Amino acid sequence: MAANDGVPEALQVLLSDELLSPSELFKERSRSHKIPVKGQKEFLPDGSDQQRARLQKSLDEHWTLVAEERVERLGNLVSAEWIPKEKLVKLLSPAGKFWQTMGFSDRGKQCLLPEEALYLMECGSVQVFYKDLPLSIQEGYECLLSPETMTLHQYQVFGHLKRLGYVVNRFDPSQVPSLYERQLNLPLPRDMQSKQLKRKRSQSPGSRLCEKQSATTMEQTTVEGECKGEVQIREPDLGHVAPEQGTTQQTSQDKSMECVANSDGASARNWWTDMSGQAQAAAAQAAAPRWDFSCIVFPDLGSHRANSATLAAPDPSLLPGALEVGECKVAHWLRKLNLKKERLSRRDWERQRERDRYKRDINDDREVRRCRNWMEYLDLMEKRRSQQHKERPAHLWEQKVTPLTHPGQCISHRELLEQISIIPSCDLLEGASRLPWSDKWRICFNVYQPDTVAEFKKSHPGKPYTRLCVCSFDGPVPDLCVIKQLSILSGDVPVTFAVVDHGDISFYCFKEFKLPTDIY
Amino acid sequence: MDWTTTQLVGKSLPNGQDVKCRDRESAITKTDQGNAAKDRTIQISICGSTPLLWRSVDIKQSRDEVGVIGTLIGSLARQPRQNNRLGRPLEILKEEARLLLETGEATDVRHPDKSKKVSESGESHLNAVQLYQARLDRSYEEQCSLALEEKKAVLHRVMDEKQNNHTGNEGPERAVRERLCSLEKSFSFPRSAMAVQLCTARAGFSHCPEELAFLAADWPEPRDKHSEARFRVYKDLRRKGFYLTAAGKFGGDYLVYPGDPLRFHAHFIALCMPMDESSPLSDILTIARLGSNVKKTVLLCSPRDPSDSQVEGDVVYSSLQWSGMV
Repeated sequence: MAANDGVPEALQVLLSDELLSPSELFKERSRSHKIPVKGQKEFLPDGSDQQRARLQKSLDEHWTLVAEERVERLGNLVSAEWIPKEKLVKLLSPAGKFWQTMGFSDRGKQCLLPEEALYLMECGSVQVFYKDLPLSIQEGYECLLSPETMTLHQYQVFGHLKRLGYVVNRFDPSQVPSLYERQLNLPLPRDMQSKQLKRKRSQSPGSRLCEKQSATTMEQTTVEGECKGEVQIREPDLGHVAPEQGTTQQTSQDKSMECVANSDGASARNWWTDMSGQAQAAAAQAAAPRWDFSCIVFPDLGSHRANSATLAAPDPSLLPGALEVGECKVAHWLRKLNLKKERLSRRDWERQRERDRYKRDINDDREVRRCRNWMEYLDLMEKRRSQQHKERPAHLWEQKVTPLTHPGQCISHRELLEQISIIPSCDLLEGASRLPWSDKWRICFNVYQPDTVAEFKKSHPGKPYTRLCVCSFDGPVPDLCVIKQLSILSGDVPVTFAVVDHGDISFYCFKEFKLPTDIY
Repeated sequence: MDWTTTQLVGKSLPNGQDVKCRDRESAITKTDQGNAAKDRTIQISICGSTPLLWRSVDIKQSRDEVGVIGTLIGSLARQPRQNNRLGRPLEILKEEARLLLETGEATDVRHPDKSKKVSESGESHLNAVQLYQARLDRSYEEQCSLALEEKKAVLHRVMDEKQNNHTGNEGPERAVRERLCSLEKSFSFPRSAMAVQLCTARAGFSHCPEELAFLAADWPEPRDKHSEARFRVYKDLRRKGFYLTAAGKFGGDYLVYPGDPLRFHAHFIALCMPMDESSPLSDILTIARLGSNVKKTVLLCSPRDPSDSQVEGDVVYSSLQWSGMV
């Protein structure tokens, strides 16, 4: 393959013997791109001629593949320049198809990160120049890889995944929403907006909330003044109930229509959150409720379908600000309601009865059914509670030390254990934010699956499939502390460890495992 | 459980292998002695702390003569976007690199051609650029004429076919002849169609980057007891004719192949343990379990202390076997 073809000696440049001559280059244009298949391996060398011949054939194929050089048409190559100071590769001609998933623009110039440039060099898509001379792949490895930019191990993982078609980019911790932000479900600036946008296309968080609410209100109205909200009222710890649940009492008036009519998610959300604040306040101070439940009438759409084609206008004092709500036509809603009587097969019926043995339906309670509004219901509950207290044995409940739970409060072991919380269950992220930070381990890459490449946008990459931490079999195994740190750093995206061992790359991850517990 | 301390290695092999071993031994000693006669050496380039081989001749030579297998880690030139077959560079084990250096087959090129390249700032760099451009121009010209030749050959072939097929009809034949005549004038070979080589190994005419500092990383690494043990085991197994690759996946030090790994399955997982080092039984059980799972025998390899053994450089091999007693 050697061809030094008459280099003037005066130049004193040692040319590699792997350079191809023009005729060889020309021939290479039409070479095969097939890879010979490796045959089945054998167990032991037996010294036979056939075996030797097979080995020779494999070796010949191997050497052909290994010795082959990259030959590309000049027109298919994107040329670029390596800028060592900035640790960047700037493109000198327009980028190719790879631009969809790689590279970035810096002051109007198309740039590639070192690992991207090196990978594209290896793919034969980009020719990188440095001081007007092209870099060989070897020189690419030597200049583009460094501990500050990308180590060889990291590049090996990068290349491995890129070759498989994954979209891989560098991980930037500042792009991950903090735990607090996630809990608040805050829309995030910049790249997180993409998620927001995507979600909006299907269902924006605001509108989803709204829909959910209308769904619950619909349910409520259909069950004819029954109180689904009773759980919230009875339990003292309404504080941590999600706001939309708290509002159900109010929404169960006649706001459901509005909610639906109000298609703008954001404003709808504000409005309901507002309401829920009031609702919580109201429920918290049960002694002096802000709302006079006795005069708030539940709309009843379910049973008397004939005589309620419209709902009366709500009391203006219950509405915020200058909102005007007139009579509401419910005819088209009624048409959507399924008022057919449920017909159960014998088996279904038995199954339901089986289920009901453990679950008490509040609607089975005659006294509850007799309640006409929330006020009466609350009174009833209060009455019962005080009755219950009277029934309790004095020697247990009237002293300083009382039982940890009330009888009947907890149905299962698990509930009981949670209630008394002697052994609090711990989850992987608990306390992670307080751990001392170590620099030894860091997340290197965001990885997106190959099937998302078509829709992938660099400006809005969305949520990665996983994030990668590159390590080596020579190094230590990450301890729990490290795993906690990395997973909190990664947010709600799983962290995978890529272990590089002499060219072999294995991927593994640690998953939190919850031991199965009893269901009831 | 039985501890089998064996010449397992020697025994389990067919005769042919033994012959090969001896051959190998003599080959190695030969290179030890008469290395001065070698006209070329293998160049090991160090990336970070990883020894790499770049030139295909080096890779072939080290496999053929020293039995260095290594792992290819780059994209394959022929089909870069797959992981089944990879291409240059070849990553080699530290032991392989050390063996290459010790047998005198190789030099490590941490500062490749430093003496020459340091001065290459002004004129010589300019020269290099000129040389590169000149090569490119000449390559273009030659490819141009080659393309013309090819086109002509195609037309000639078409003409011949036409002549043979339709002796009566002169029309198409004449058209082809006319095209052939005008070809000389009208033929154009765009520069973008020129084939260029993207060199894999350092090409020579290119500029050598200044930033080689990272190459000067800690290599060869400080040798501790374990790396010494690893090297002695590597050398011993290699001398016995086995081919070795890394066995990180299997939790061992080496995978031991009876023949070239291209054609044969590995039989053993070698685990290097210095003779005087105690290790918990649970570790050994773990690796033995793993070995039986992947149908390979786990070899515990302990180099004998050179001072108190008669045979120097000998390694004791043991394996763990379930005894079958209930």
